[in-house]
Amino acid sequence: MREVITTDLVIIGGGPAGMTAALYAVRAKLKTVVLESNVTGGLVNSTYTVENFPSWPSIHGMELMEKMRAQIDELGVTVEEVCEVESLELDGQWKKVVTDSAEYRCKAVILATGRVPLELDTPTQAQEVHHCAICDGAAYAGRHVLVVGGGNSAFDESLYLLASGIEHITLVEAMPRYFAAESTQEQLFSSGRVDGFVSTKVVDLIVKDGVLTGALLENSESGRRWTVDVAGVFVFLGQKPNNSLFKDILPLTKQGYIKASELMETGIPGVFSAGDINDKAFRQITTAVADGTIAALSAERYIRSAF
Amino acid sequence: MFEELSDATFDGRIAEVKAGVCIFYKQLCPHCKNMEKVLEKFSRLQPEVTLLSVDIEQNPVSAGVCGAERAPTIIVIRDGKVAGRKAGLMNPREMAQFFDSCR
Ligand SMILES: Cc1cc2nc3c(=O)[nH]c(=O)nc-3n(C[C@H](O)[C@H](O)[C@H](O)COP(=O)(O)OP(=O)(O)OC[C@H]3O[C@@H](n4cnc5c(N)ncnc54)[C@H](O)[C@@H]3O)c2cc1C
Repeated sequence: MREVITTDLVIIGGGPAGMTAALYAVRAKLKTVVLESNVTGGLVNSTYTVENFPSWPSIHGMELMEKMRAQIDELGVTVEEVCEVESLELDGQWKKVVTDSAEYRCKAVILATGRVPLELDTPTQAQEVHHCAICDGAAYAGRHVLVVGGGNSAFDESLYLLASGIEHITLVEAMPRYFAAESTQEQLFSSGRVDGFVSTKVVDLIVKDGVLTGALLENSESGRRWTVDVAGVFVFLGQKPNNSLFKDILPLTKQGYIKASELMETGIPGVFSAGDINDKAFRQITTAVADGTIAALSAERYIRSAF
Repeated sequence: MFEELSDATFDGRIAEVKAGVCIFYKQLCPHCKNMEKVLEKFSRLQPEVTLLSVDIEQNPVSAGVCGAERAPTIIVIRDGKVAGRKAGLMNPREMAQFFDSCR
């Protein structure tokens, strides 16, 4: 038998959006539980240095998230990590969230499940594989990097990499053409510092003594295989929304994001959403914490009026 | 919850453990942090299992002997011997299955 726990608010996802929502909710005297499938911190845990979070000129992502976590622990938020949410019932006035160890009955739910990057699928892994040029590009100034992907984000981020002082880029796209806007393609290739290859995929990474030294590429039309010497790899195969839990019960955009209102309402009374899972233009820690703030204050207002 | 081992203490301590799990981790590795929480949850269900940890970068000898190239790498110890090894992240259920499969 699962333990039945009654609470005011359940927040699903313990990234910056979820933890900020918890901070505001508990200060508004809501009994708050955060359910996190992994460990709190979300995508930020994987970001080596964060240099655009106000008040910290430079901080390791995991350290920033530990500080956020310490703050909500101090305030008495219950956090369940490595917690599998098995089902959700969001319709009634009381919501039900069933996990592998408990059944939560609550007045409101905030969904803050974020996104996951589509990974580069190679037999050898390397720590020099990144998903964000703004975040990690500067570390490779003066060096040669590989960019994987041929869509808008790969081209935009490559332009950013060049502006950050990257000496040379090899860009590969598995399909027979690039999908980025023509003008961006022209802009990138006219720099003279980029080689592009279509119909080309990364077969494996070459790592010597724990350090990435290159990548093995293959052209799927000619079958030619060759290696490039690179110090870093930037993967822009896209990100996918973490929506599996509610994709059948909430209206989502075609891409799978939640179309939340300005007040972070999802369309179901008492159910709010925050952070990268929302359909929006800019996905950063600051925008995630802003969403978390609004979602918690909206949830508080909803609970006070509906109960 | 985790007893931290070093190259100096690793062999002697492992020899004493009847049933245990050791995590080889690296500092600032998000998957290691995640796996530690998985092991804490696993050990709440199997409290007789001893939890040990080794920092790979500080202890290259024991990491090398145990083939812990990736972080995290989990080894299962039965009757003082290494009975299984697996790298990467597992959920608590996969961890329990892995532990049971190492006999
Ligand atoms: C490589 C990289 C570098 C970045 N660098 C920066 C930077 O320097 N500065 C910056 O401002 N932004 C950066 N970003 C963006 C930033 O990380 C995100 O905008 C931010 O993390 C979004 O926060 P979130 O809480 O919405 O989602 P996430 O951080 O994705 O957190 C969501 C959480 O929900 C959990 N979860 C998902 N599904 C479930 C479920 N079913 N049950 C329970 N829990 C679940 C996840 O495990 C995760 O912990 C970077 C992103 C990437 C990918």
